[in-house]
Amino acid sequence: MNGVAVNGYRPKAAPMRRYDETESVDYLIVGVGSAGGVLLQRLARAGFRVVGLEAGPFWEPERDWVSDEAGSHGLYWEDPRVTGGSDPLALGANNSGKGVGGGSVHWAAFTPRLHPSDFRTYSLDGVGVDWPIAYDELRPYYEQLELEMPVAGPAYYPWGHPHGYPYGPHPMGGVGNALVRGCSALDIPVSIGGPVAILSGSHGERPHCIYRGFCIQGCKVGAKASTLITHVPDALANGAEVRDRAMASRIELGRDGRVTGVHYYDDAGAERFQRARAVIVAGYAIETPRLLLNSACPGFERGLANSSGTVGRYLMAQAGNVILGRFDELVRMYKAPPAHALTEEFYETDARNDFARGFAIQTVGPLPIAFAKQMMAAKKAWGWGLRREMMDYNHWAAFGLLGEILPAADNRVTLSEERDRFGLRVAHVSFNLCDNDRKLIKAGTEKTMEVMWAAGAREVVQEARYAHLVGGARMGNDPATSVVDRFGRTHDVPNLFVCDGSVLPTQGSANPGLTIQALAARTADYLVSAGDAIFTSTSERVEAEPPLRKDLAPPATWGKGVPRLR
Amino acid sequence: MSENRDSFPRPIDPQTREPLALVEQPGYYPGYSTLREREHWEEATRRVVLDRVDAVPPLRYFAADDAAFWSIVFEHLLPQADRTPNRRVAIINAVDDRLGSDRSPGYRFADMPPDREAYRLGREAIDEESRAVHGGAFRDLTYAQREDVLSLLHDGRPRAAAAIWQRMSIHRFWQLIVGDAIDAYYAHPWAWDEIGFGGPAYPRAYTRLERGDPEPWEVRERRYSWAPPESARSDETENVRAFHIEAEQHRSHEPKERRR
Repeated sequence: MNGVAVNGYRPKAAPMRRYDETESVDYLIVGVGSAGGVLLQRLARAGFRVVGLEAGPFWEPERDWVSDEAGSHGLYWEDPRVTGGSDPLALGANNSGKGVGGGSVHWAAFTPRLHPSDFRTYSLDGVGVDWPIAYDELRPYYEQLELEMPVAGPAYYPWGHPHGYPYGPHPMGGVGNALVRGCSALDIPVSIGGPVAILSGSHGERPHCIYRGFCIQGCKVGAKASTLITHVPDALANGAEVRDRAMASRIELGRDGRVTGVHYYDDAGAERFQRARAVIVAGYAIETPRLLLNSACPGFERGLANSSGTVGRYLMAQAGNVILGRFDELVRMYKAPPAHALTEEFYETDARNDFARGFAIQTVGPLPIAFAKQMMAAKKAWGWGLRREMMDYNHWAAFGLLGEILPAADNRVTLSEERDRFGLRVAHVSFNLCDNDRKLIKAGTEKTMEVMWAAGAREVVQEARYAHLVGGARMGNDPATSVVDRFGRTHDVPNLFVCDGSVLPTQGSANPGLTIQALAARTADYLVSAGDAIFTSTSERVEAEPPLRKDLAPPATWGKGVPRLR
Repeated sequence: MSENRDSFPRPIDPQTREPLALVEQPGYYPGYSTLREREHWEEATRRVVLDRVDAVPPLRYFAADDAAFWSIVFEHLLPQADRTPNRRVAIINAVDDRLGSDRSPGYRFADMPPDREAYRLGREAIDEESRAVHGGAFRDLTYAQREDVLSLLHDGRPRAAAAIWQRMSIHRFWQLIVGDAIDAYYAHPWAWDEIGFGGPAYPRAYTRLERGDPEPWEVRERRYSWAPPESARSDETENVRAFHIEAEQHRSHEPKERRR
């Protein structure tokens, strides 16, 4: 039986330019994920010679990806890491991508913005830390990236700074209907059909969503945004090179205190060195600190760009408890994207609570393997009990708590004595909740359970877990307490930048993907605006906010009607 | 019912208390088959799923004796005694394949050894527990006695092997072996048929998103009553909703609800 032959969506690919290693490229970007993909595209379009090193493969979705949970493990960072502390984080498939597109290949693609209050948690609530930028400085980039991905969602989104979305909301699946029903019964406002970076209608050459449910196994359809299809094709068309299966091992520091390039292992395991006039580390919250720490050298014995001792610290995950409700009627939660409805009604600090900050409640759609493990955790099911629970799979709906966890210095990435297949020391991640975190998680879980009961569930249980990662190389104005400045430039080394989720000082209760890409576009505008000054030995820093370069957006960005709110 | 070390009792009809007949497809979706839809899947998915069914990897990592031991454990963790022998999922082969290629999920808990070592230590601990509780090696016990031993591990209340449980977390070990069994069983299209999961739907799409309505190729649910074998210990579930924090939840094992 041959079955259906699919000529899957594939971005138009220009022949890729190849740079010589002895040639000093302008920007060498380590990690072609959510941030790296956007940076690569912007800088290439602005005329810079850019190379992206990516530890994983350059995906060919129709060939490499499958509609299958067990067959998708290659999308995740499976190299060894050690996880500990009082509240160890699950890594791998939970939060760590590998391959071109990085986390944006396996994200569920919820794209809420941070709220204005997120940038001032210390001033407002006495917790966390204030960002060196305000919401208004990031807002144009939120609007820009919502067009570039683009994002589907309601015409009026009421929380934070109210706004509307360029693509219409998605139809509801069974889980979204349960969330809408439960929230409505409790008089809680709810966002229906987004915001999610999945196409509700075709966009340029990309087709619309088919509701197959395998979003986090990689979207073969091409409907879910990943930088693999939204930005990398335009980067290549403008002369960028992506060197895949290239594992960065050490950043080289020259005698003049400026970096000169990056050592890496190629696919055959051979050591190589790419020269560059500037380096941007975009390896996400664990691999970015790991690379800086592994790049310790005379003058930076504690790790490159780590004079503050902050590299690896203030690592954050969000509370991601999954609340499961069993209904008499069928739900079939494998249909529709896991991400299609949410409420941020409990996002902000509420004086009636015994904790600061807040949480969101979102739809999730676990497939059978994930759901079975949730039954193992939430009900301690095994044996015949597990078989019985699983036979009711189609009767369950799942909501995800997304709760803010505060930054703490001791939640950190350090180097383990263990080594990987390249001989590089692997990351040791230590994570510990504080009192505010515990109170917030308890309150958020109980509220989410209340919504599930109100939706009509006959049984409600929950699995405790964490979602996402940010921090580890945070931005700030004070070089003594942060790694990079407000544009991502390291305080210590003038031509070394960090741009990815690791620069976030706090995280709110929003999924971080949109913020990471918006920050990358802003850093790119800064670099374009600064021009060759980045490559000269002067340590003078341009402090002005760069102009928004809409002309550097990928094709097909424009010509969309966006609901405009005054 | 008398039991010997080789018997795995079948689930029963709760009215007659008689064992259910063996079936090719248990569950509430009789007549439903994901594999029947394979011509509607694209090639990469079809290859991965059909290989899982038709090309079970031969054992290469476990020694024969270890493979026999873990096969029995997995038959308790994820029993298949209600299935005809030709429709049982080869969990041991899938676990052997993972350990053989030394594939990890991308992290190791600081209180756990690497997975291969965890399996080695785990077998020692289970045998020690078996001797302490029932006076013999795990494989020499009856089904009910083996259920006893494993339920002590499930509850995190071992009576033996203290030295091993100091080297690895008993709760993380339990998650590891049950998780491996889940990874193998619920990856299989026969398990999808059992639970009514629609399976791959690219490029055809799902179109009936609401009210749990079936696609034209799916079937409606037809429930029936069944009970686990009398001597099984694993039909109990507990509600651990009071534990909001992962580090507390994974340690908590307080049986609270039994279905029977």
